[in-house]
Amino acid sequence: MLEPLIKAYNDAVFETDRDAAFAVVDQAIAQGVPAEDVVFHIVIPAVEEMMAQLTLDPDANLAQHFMTAQIAAEVTDKMLARFAHPPEIIGRIVIGTAQGDLHSLGKRIVSGCLKALMVEVHDLGVNVPAERFVDAAVELDAPVIAVSAMMAHTANGPQGPRRVRELLHARGLEDRIKLVVGGAPYRFDDQLYRSVGADGWAPDGVTAGKVIVDLIRARPEELAALALPLEGQENSGRPFVFSRSRGETA
Amino acid sequence: MPRLTLIAPDGTHRLTIAAGDSLREALDATELRVRAACGGNGSCGACLVRWIEGEVSRPTAAEYLKLGPEERAAGWRLACQLRLTGDATLALDHPAPPSQWRSIAELPPPIGRLPELEQHIYGLAVDLGTTHIRLSLLDRKSGRRIASRRGPNPQQVHGADVLNRLDAALGSERKAAELAKLARTAIVQALRDVLARDCGEVTPMMAEIGAALVVGNTAMLALLAQQGVAELLAPEHWQSAIDCRPRATDWQAQWYLPHARIDLAPPLAGFVGSDLLADLLACDLCQPDRPALLVDLGTNSELALWDGARLRVGSVPGGPAFEGAGLRRGMPAEPGALCAVTAEGDGFRCQRIGDTDAVRGICGSGLIDATAVLLAQGRLKPSGRFATPPGATGLALIPGEERSSLFAGDIDALQRAKAATAAAMRLLLRTAGLAWADLSRLVVCGAFGHHLNLQHARAIGLLPPLADERIELIAEAALLGCERALLAPGGKEWLGAAAQQAVSLNLAQSADYENLYIEELRLRPMALHP
Repeated sequence: MLEPLIKAYNDAVFETDRDAAFAVVDQAIAQGVPAEDVVFHIVIPAVEEMMAQLTLDPDANLAQHFMTAQIAAEVTDKMLARFAHPPEIIGRIVIGTAQGDLHSLGKRIVSGCLKALMVEVHDLGVNVPAERFVDAAVELDAPVIAVSAMMAHTANGPQGPRRVRELLHARGLEDRIKLVVGGAPYRFDDQLYRSVGADGWAPDGVTAGKVIVDLIRARPEELAALALPLEGQENSGRPFVFSRSRGETA
Repeated sequence: MPRLTLIAPDGTHRLTIAAGDSLREALDATELRVRAACGGNGSCGACLVRWIEGEVSRPTAAEYLKLGPEERAAGWRLACQLRLTGDATLALDHPAPPSQWRSIAELPPPIGRLPELEQHIYGLAVDLGTTHIRLSLLDRKSGRRIASRRGPNPQQVHGADVLNRLDAALGSERKAAELAKLARTAIVQALRDVLARDCGEVTPMMAEIGAALVVGNTAMLALLAQQGVAELLAPEHWQSAIDCRPRATDWQAQWYLPHARIDLAPPLAGFVGSDLLADLLACDLCQPDRPALLVDLGTNSELALWDGARLRVGSVPGGPAFEGAGLRRGMPAEPGALCAVTAEGDGFRCQRIGDTDAVRGICGSGLIDATAVLLAQGRLKPSGRFATPPGATGLALIPGEERSSLFAGDIDALQRAKAATAAAMRLLLRTAGLAWADLSRLVVCGAFGHHLNLQHARAIGLLPPLADERIELIAEAALLGCERALLAPGGKEWLGAAAQQAVSLNLAQSADYENLYIEELRLRPMALHP
């Protein structure tokens, strides 16, 4: 019975038509489809499909990425509020914009996709010192730090990802915490991520979602560490428990 | 307009000449140059051209003085005196070397004058842009513009992007000095071009210049003055005024202007330059109780909203699509560019700049037109996706003309550029609690000059839903405003006071901005309520 809804939703996302996407979701709820099914059977497959398409399409359109990621994040937020039980998360990351950099849009797109994919995102904001990235990742036991940098001197300068790498190394965290980067300078020079000491990079926000999910999935021991019952909630016996991210607003 | 065929040593050129312009005036707006050593009054006799056929004005008294009967019989004429009265063919046997400094066509006369000035009456107005430098030489006493020039900013060898240049300057003192010198030398060269060709003497005239005023974006001013570069790259300073006053003590000597007071009009904030202030002065935006919005479209678009009592300013980065850069077949609005596109059945009717047969590429206004037409034809979806993907060869707007091709990525670049400016406009109006209908004027300056199809701009959501009569397109607004500041008593002080009073908003850092930006990425008219 979900088939027509899935098709209608995919069409709406393909056309980046936010209003149409919400209409499909509202219709699904009105027909009695549980919010969980909307997310897991309609929204997430659409995000994954979009990621697959983008890796195939060399002429992928950034404006379309932004719009589709926004739809995914908004729909997910709306549905999560209706979940009977908190959903499982597949992992947790910290994300932010490098010190000296105020460009927040790329980070927002990555966050939107990750949230729709049930990754808990701790957004540290813009102009984030390297120390704060590392401290937050340790405190939250996040296996991935994602640094967005849109300017040459913030992407490649001494206070950006390079400094995060130095700190991870100095504090012996390199096995536990991976560093990924994104932003225009890494697109212009596709080896730059290596020279600043990152473990991965992505040319656009949506692909970054995929890179991060792959990194999380590749590290089961870190995922196990996340399987903590959260305050006031029973451990459902499932491996991971969702918590609403702190400091993250829709 | 009369059409000219000009046979020069490097080949045959075809030009359209505005009625009333002398041949020399017309050529000064191109890279072709006649020889000249006077201001175009027929006194030096250097600008010789040869008439071959067609309709031209009769020889003037100056030509009778300078040219003998045999020369006149052989068709020799002076380019500064000759006007086309119909189509004609002329030969330019001995041109001056081509110049990258071209006079700016169709500037309205400057406003203001300083009749009480006794000495050093000339003034130099400069709009120092990232890509282009524009300047004009003024007789401040009479309020007359002697000539204007536009040419490339040679700092581009250190990167087309502002940030690359700032990076270079921050990293090395030698590079910082080199960048400053590149801009300064270019301005002096353009000034010498004016003096040599339009005044006939250079060094004595340089000494008669009593004032120079430079407006520009903050980064260009900082690079010129070698002051404020580090602050510009640190976000905590973006909101506040950045001191770009030069510290050099031999500033006049460096400019070869011994008697000039050289001022850099102070910028408003990190990424809001004094070029925006000059725009405001050029169009008198701030009139009591007449709310008005000004947008200076460019790679970094600057905006000013006057709500009738208060001025709010900001800037947003949208990328270089408006300037025709970053597109697969993109180019600036120069001869050979596809500049206007309208629908013709299922196809297109394309117009190019200049009287040239060759299509060299697509400029910003052409891209906006093509996008609006494709959208109306249903060949482009509001998402920016083509109904039938044009593929690797692109969509040729002129069949078989490869340089006229539009690609999926070009649409994407335009979507992001227009979303940035549209979101910034909406956010400014929201901040001031205004609706579109409250605006008495929308002034659009910057990348497009006079060439923007308002209907198309509204259809794709680049401009808000306002009637044509409320929208004004002003070309070269920053230069005109700079001139006005030089020609008005207290003009420079006005710029300073406006800079002090304006409220600078960091638009792109607002959470609302991102929501509006994503909303405005779709190709559709802007929302009726900002």
